[in-house]
Amino acid sequence: MSATAEQRSGAVVEQLRERIRQLQAAPRSYLATLRTGVEEVDALLPSGGFPLGQAVELCGDAASGRTSLALRAVAAAHRERRLCAWVDGPKELYPPAAAAMGVELSRLLIVRPQQPAQLAWTAVQLARSGAFACVVLDLTQGLAAGASGGKSSGLRLSLAEGKKLADAAFRGGSLLLLLSSPTAPADGVTRIRTESLGPEGLAVEVVRSRQGGLGTRAVLEWSSLYPALGPEGEEAPLLAGEAPSNEELVPDFYRGRSWERRNACGILGQRPGRDAAMPSFRSRLGTGTAPR
Amino acid sequence: MRLGYLHFSRFPAQRRVIEVPALAGKPFVLEEEVRSARRVACASTSALKAGVRPGMTLTAASALEPSLQHFPYKAEDELRALTSLGEALMCVTPAFQRSAPDGLWFDASAAHLFGGEEGLCQRALEVCAGHGYRGRAVVASELFTSRVLARHGTRPVQVVPEGGGARALAPLPLSALEGPECEPFAALGLGTLGEVAALPAGAVAARGGAAGLRAHTLCRGGDDTPFVAAVLEEVLEERMTLDWPAESFEPLQFALKTLLDRLCARLAGRRRAAVRLSFMLKLDPTGQVELPLTLARPSARAKLLLDLARHQLSELRLENPVAGLSVRVEEHNEDRGQQLALGDTPEGDAALEVVLSRLATTLGEESLFSASLEAVHRPEQAYVARAFRPPPSSRGMAGELLPQEPVEVPVEEALRERPSRLLEQPATLDAEVADSGELLAAWLLGKRRRVMAMAGPERLSGEWWAPEPYSRDYYRVHFEGMGPAWVFRDARDGRFYLQGLFD
Repeated sequence: MSATAEQRSGAVVEQLRERIRQLQAAPRSYLATLRTGVEEVDALLPSGGFPLGQAVELCGDAASGRTSLALRAVAAAHRERRLCAWVDGPKELYPPAAAAMGVELSRLLIVRPQQPAQLAWTAVQLARSGAFACVVLDLTQGLAAGASGGKSSGLRLSLAEGKKLADAAFRGGSLLLLLSSPTAPADGVTRIRTESLGPEGLAVEVVRSRQGGLGTRAVLEWSSLYPALGPEGEEAPLLAGEAPSNEELVPDFYRGRSWERRNACGILGQRPGRDAAMPSFRSRLGTGTAPR
Repeated sequence: MRLGYLHFSRFPAQRRVIEVPALAGKPFVLEEEVRSARRVACASTSALKAGVRPGMTLTAASALEPSLQHFPYKAEDELRALTSLGEALMCVTPAFQRSAPDGLWFDASAAHLFGGEEGLCQRALEVCAGHGYRGRAVVASELFTSRVLARHGTRPVQVVPEGGGARALAPLPLSALEGPECEPFAALGLGTLGEVAALPAGAVAARGGAAGLRAHTLCRGGDDTPFVAAVLEEVLEERMTLDWPAESFEPLQFALKTLLDRLCARLAGRRRAAVRLSFMLKLDPTGQVELPLTLARPSARAKLLLDLARHQLSELRLENPVAGLSVRVEEHNEDRGQQLALGDTPEGDAALEVVLSRLATTLGEESLFSASLEAVHRPEQAYVARAFRPPPSSRGMAGELLPQEPVEVPVEEALRERPSRLLEQPATLDAEVADSGELLAAWLLGKRRRVMAMAGPERLSGEWWAPEPYSRDYYRVHFEGMGPAWVFRDARDGRFYLQGLFD
């Protein structure tokens, strides 16, 4: 090796050493909050996002935006390449929609325990391990019960379970998001209430907080959570006359089979056994004699 | 061909101490039955200091050292341990040959990769030390030379140059011949291998016959025995029969540690990492229990696997005591190692594995999954459950300083209009419909709710080739006091169904 080459490689090594020294000297900035990406919601929270190491409760009725806010927090953790877990009590999380919100499905562990009593235990284990940046515990009862006319209340945590969850989040340094309904609130340190205001949008309010911001409220449009839906206000509600009739609804394959409509004729309209023979495909397929 | 030999003095005793660390520094022997008498096969250092010698009866040994512990000697177990050590050495050598009961030959042709033969020996000894074994290594051109020098020499690492066998062997005592061949030479009054080598070959052949000539050739460094590499087993499985049936978890734990140590040594030698393992417990007198263990991240670390196995087995309730145990690697893949970023610690992965294993044991494997998108239009079938195997990457300490990488998630446009909560089975909506077919109100969540607004339809239909085709017109409906719901009208019966909520 020539002297110049040696000098050059020595300089590169020195540069790399300097870089490593810089990296080691810089204070390590840990991921401290998970931002939802919805400015109105982030502004409500004292730390500018969901703080790690705490249990935060998202409390609201069905279809009030709890799930999408939680999914946005999960997506924020995934942008930092951290793992997340979703303890899915009602077994209703729809992963394709989560993927559309930026969630990396390969980094999201979905747990669906058979017994409702195992939900809190599972979340405690996941949060305490410290391997997950965000653990979502869905305590709502789910649509299946609600659609059939039953009252949807959800699972109620005991005081001891609530304390265990908060402790696990603190020890593991992960964000524990509790999705609950107003009739069965959980015991989160911070509680955020979400409420649907109809087609106009939804309201998000901090109803319990130890770090300030209590009582602050934001109103946002549905399109800020689901951008692809577009503002609903511009879309006129369908009227009776505009709804497609029952006849239009029925697709072809229910109305009648195509060969029945053609009255059992061949695809070219020829009658079986009566008209001329079917045209030959042989020359097209290349098996016939090619013209020279 | 250059060959190395690794000699582990009192290999069975070393192995015992590795398996049961509490035995370190204590007098113990391994005994075997020879002609209906129990004799010492191998003794620990402190037992040797007390005067215990191999070949002695167990009674005599116990008389010399009252606190002497004894364990059965199983030649088969020793051979398996030696094989797993040989396979662990495959990261420094292309092939090995067992030399029971306490040594291994290895192919030294890769010495240039380690800075020469001495470097290779050092590296091989390091690998062995990593598994807890101490030994001596010699590289020579003949099997006999390398073996005898390692067994009877004093230097931890020795390299005999090509053609220098006779000179290196000369100072060794005659007993290094280790067989009946040395007796006639001893009767002649010879003391070292060098003196044997100095005899004229013709005279040795005339008086000692073929056996004598062979011993003479060996002493002159002329061994022509070929190196026969051990054939690697395709199936990675280790098994062990317990000394007595175990009724608690404690004795099983020792057996598990031994088996997993061996298995991981074999995996490490092949540069493989286990993905799926199965534990088979043989019960006494009949029956067996099989327990699968799937890892979220492939691993060949014995400590981690032992932790996971402990979680799986410690809470197991069995009808009968356990008589034997076997561990098999069902699936393995290439071990790329773990690339840690500056400031990262490997504990994070261990914590992940442990918590996943604990959840899988309690909730069942099927309760944990990660979703993967499928190209299917029917909404409830648009994803499938897969085993949770997160990609290994972290930004570590440099995270904030590195440029932010945009994470591109290729998602179909249509998925952006899907609700975050979806029912697996669409629920019939208790709906009030006008004569024209318009949805007026529905009975939802215990209340009658009027329709405030509606958007749609989005028609999804297909699977006309299947027994159950579908055709649905989906609407986003704002019911009173609720966010948007995903409702469809099924073309089969014209009824409205609730499928999801934009929560």
